[in-house]
Amino acid sequence: CPHGHTGCHILSLADLFDRVIQHSARMHGLSSDLHSEFEQYFLPSKNHISRVYRKCHTSNILTPNGKENAQKLAREELTEVIMKLLMAWRDPLSQLHQSMAHQQDFNSFSSNKALEMSDMVHELRKGVEKVTEKMQLLGMISNSVSGLSSPEALLPASESGEALSDYELLYCFRRDSDKVQNYLKILKCRIVPEHGC
Amino acid sequence: LFILLSPATGFSAPGRPRVINCRSPEKETFTCWWEPGDDGGLPTTYALYYRLEGSETIYECPDYKTAGENSCFFSKNDTSLWVDYNISVVASNDMGKSVSEPVEVDVVYIVQPNTPESVMVSVLEDNHGPYLRVDWEKPQSADTRSGWITLVYQLRVKQAKDETWEEYDAGMQKYYNVFSLHSGKEYMVQVRCKPDHGFWSEWTTPVYIQMPDYMPKERSMWIM
Repeated sequence: CPHGHTGCHILSLADLFDRVIQHSARMHGLSSDLHSEFEQYFLPSKNHISRVYRKCHTSNILTPNGKENAQKLAREELTEVIMKLLMAWRDPLSQLHQSMAHQQDFNSFSSNKALEMSDMVHELRKGVEKVTEKMQLLGMISNSVSGLSSPEALLPASESGEALSDYELLYCFRRDSDKVQNYLKILKCRIVPEHGC
Repeated sequence: LFILLSPATGFSAPGRPRVINCRSPEKETFTCWWEPGDDGGLPTTYALYYRLEGSETIYECPDYKTAGENSCFFSKNDTSLWVDYNISVVASNDMGKSVSEPVEVDVVYIVQPNTPESVMVSVLEDNHGPYLRVDWEKPQSADTRSGWITLVYQLRVKQAKDETWEEYDAGMQKYYNVFSLHSGKEYMVQVRCKPDHGFWSEWTTPVYIQMPDYMPKERSMWIM
């Protein structure tokens, strides 16, 4: 690929997008598996799982809840939403892994999944940062994307301030990881529509 | 809940309806269907109510017509993703009411696309002999262009007179080549699609295709 060739840049941007999208799909897959493992463990004794879910700690991050809303957001805003979601999960996932590793109820298999998710969210954040830099370099989005470096680590507590249970965390992460995957796909198809959209 | 039985008439409150299914064809709208219980021998009406996760407000079904009998259709404006809908159906007649078991759905997990469209099967040939080329289109309702929904495809092929299908995964491609089919036999081909996490569509109606009579390459070499 000759250096400075524009077609090249766009191609590799599409590749980068595909990579982060695949990564986010795997991450969501893991969270779904773990979520259903939890349900299998605890559903027989229903009192472990309150069907009345409390708000996720990420609920104050405004996320589009449908196609039209997602499409209304500017590319920069969509990127920002993705980054905010990923940032917000850094600490809670490592806590989740630690908490699971200390419980006898889980086999090491499940707790390894939690560790893997925690690593993945970190990797994915770095990946999305790369994509963002590349988009900025190519002038496809402005440089005004904030939230890339601000360490606003939200602690996973409900509105009442009480810590969310492992199950609630998983429930929230399953949802947020799916959002991330969806927003990444929408963003990709806006930036490089000719690549598999 | 109010099981009243009047011995003089034999009429009773309706039996419990049951929410059978909720499905979204394109991740933008969805429909729920219910099965009425016993009507107690009286004219019985049904109403669907829903509540969104984290809210106390109860709404009634916005549209009983679009999706036919015993159904409720949620248009784009009434459909949100990543939020649980708590849904129940109430049956009422002059003797009383009866409420279904509530059902919880997040639209993201109930997507079942319509079938792929314009399935075209043709016989092509390369130097190993003839093979089948299958082409199709995405279901029209699914907006794959914008990245909102991603579909993967599967096709299945069998000899028209046989019982067993052979399945092939096409991934996100909208075509597939099927090799090693028997000379002179008639085949059936069907295609279906699936979103990220959701359900397979129905199979398309079968397309029949006749493989031409031909000599396998190796044999014709041997004859020479």
